[in-house]
Amino acid sequence: MAAPDAKPKLAFYWAASCGGCEITITELGMRLIDVGDLVDIVFWPCAMDFKYSDVEALGDGEIDVCFFNGAIRCSENEHIANLLRRKSKLLVAFGSCAYEGCIPGLANLYDAESVLERVYDTAPSLDDSRGTRPTPSSQVPEDKIEIPVFYDRVKTLAQTVDVDYFMPGCPPVVDQVWNVFQTLLAGELPAKGAIIGADAKTNCDVCPRQKGESGMRIKEFKRPHEVTLDPDVCFLTQGILCCGPATRAGCGLPCINGNMPCRGCYGPPDGVVDQGSKLLSAIAALIDTDEPEELPRILDTIVDPTGTFYRFSLADSILSELKYKRG
Amino acid sequence: MSHESPETFADQVRAIPGGEHLEMCYSCGTCVSKCLIQQKVEPEYNPRRLLRMVMMGLREEAFRSPTTWLCSACDLCYPACPQQIHISGVIGAVKQLAIEAGYESPLETVSVDETLCSGCGICVMACPYEALHLVEKEIEGEMDLVSEVDANKCLGCGICVAACPLGAISRPGISNQEVVAQIEVPTDGAPRLITFVCDWCLRADDDVSLLESYPDNVRVIHIPCSGRIDPQMALLALRSGIDGVLVCGCAPGECHYKRGTYVSSCKISLLNRMFDQMNVGDGRVRFVQIGTQDRGCIRTEVDAMLEYLAAWKEAQ
Repeated sequence: MAAPDAKPKLAFYWAASCGGCEITITELGMRLIDVGDLVDIVFWPCAMDFKYSDVEALGDGEIDVCFFNGAIRCSENEHIANLLRRKSKLLVAFGSCAYEGCIPGLANLYDAESVLERVYDTAPSLDDSRGTRPTPSSQVPEDKIEIPVFYDRVKTLAQTVDVDYFMPGCPPVVDQVWNVFQTLLAGELPAKGAIIGADAKTNCDVCPRQKGESGMRIKEFKRPHEVTLDPDVCFLTQGILCCGPATRAGCGLPCINGNMPCRGCYGPPDGVVDQGSKLLSAIAALIDTDEPEELPRILDTIVDPTGTFYRFSLADSILSELKYKRG
Repeated sequence: MSHESPETFADQVRAIPGGEHLEMCYSCGTCVSKCLIQQKVEPEYNPRRLLRMVMMGLREEAFRSPTTWLCSACDLCYPACPQQIHISGVIGAVKQLAIEAGYESPLETVSVDETLCSGCGICVMACPYEALHLVEKEIEGEMDLVSEVDANKCLGCGICVAACPLGAISRPGISNQEVVAQIEVPTDGAPRLITFVCDWCLRADDDVSLLESYPDNVRVIHIPCSGRIDPQMALLALRSGIDGVLVCGCAPGECHYKRGTYVSSCKISLLNRMFDQMNVGDGRVRFVQIGTQDRGCIRTEVDAMLEYLAAWKEAQ
């Protein structure tokens, strides 16, 4: 056992995300105690009492590994991402939000004002006619209050700071988290920029369902709640959009084994730049009709193409890039 | 198997589903005049002659004939035939016998990189010719389900190349790398346009040569079928600063590879629906379907696109 001061220093942080990534760490259960023996946790605001000043007090590069979950949505996320980058030897984009934007990244379908309008004015559950909006800086009798600035665009961690490793998943499954902890703590460092805690191929490669055969095509897309799903055959052959063909394996198929299609949270596999457009290309090749005028109706059954094909990767997509390049 | 073995070559062809109407042909040659293969690819291609060979018992000649192998069952000839013979069905029957006799397709076909293939079956379902199927094989020491190409059925359209999410399928000349490498247009003031043109939608030689006559700001990329288009190519083009992407395919019902034009139309429609959702929908990626009678249409389409893009650039 190394002397206490020789223990690697770990940090965890939670930016724009739901908290699921934090829960997956607590799912380590008793193994967390082993982790506690092996490392010093120097920052984990979700679970332990730390302040930003504790991080600021650390020397540059003093944190050995920082697991950063959450997308970059506001000025606070960005500030802490920069701070933790400076203080960490290795920065890991932990989970789909930090890696590729995930569900928060779908806000890139809108601009900041539309999001705020929805949340503060038009949501059906609201009863507030005061036109309240979060204001970055406001004067109250006692003092000036500063809150983070809400950005127009959700960014991934790597679009904000330099990232060493990417760990996919919404959230990453606990066994993969454990594997990654062990690998990194053993000093077995993969090449910079590597995807860790996942496989190289896709979910279809490990999916046990009966695959489609020649001539099986889609004349109508259905949503899982609209049909009784056969648990043994490929979802696509049942007209259910499954993201498995363009999604990296490594999750252990909890959704598919639960008779729900893959939603794509492990991101694109090796060799795929833009998960959504590859998925679109694959799915469109299965659409068939004898009547060309039927095509728009069939496409209408894909209710939300962007939110379906880019459910987890919109912030990291070429589609997003095009939007923000235009300014 | 039938206990009575058919007597003649023509009997054998007729015994295969699709080959029944062989003898209704009176050799008018309307099918030949409709067919794009003779005009564009192979002067020796001639369905009329092939049917005659079968009736005359010229088995080896029929098996060696390019007509046996090049027909893509687009069925442009079918509605034109005064005898209503489903000619591609007859040719398919000859091809089946040729394969059984050990003959092989002379066409350039796709191949699968088995180390990349995930066995998802997308290509199997997408192929218009049932040329792909999944097989259990030992790959890098482990049993795995992978896609396998029947080279005698594959016509090299490339629909599967675009459909494969992992880039595991390719064909010389139209691999992802080869197509993407062509997405490049010199930078100057004029609108920069990439035009993907399917090898079959331009019937008139004038239209084909017209495309070559555009200046450098219009880059023409030839693909076997508009179904080869991968929406990622359009996105990459726009990201690289190209102003617009025009995809040209066959008219509905006239696609050389049966379903490529549907597939392409779905891809471009979905892409544009996503552009609209992202509030970047501005008509810069378009799909046009060109019918066999639409001579001169390509100039109208390209010019309209250039004019639109010029106005779009002006407004930026």
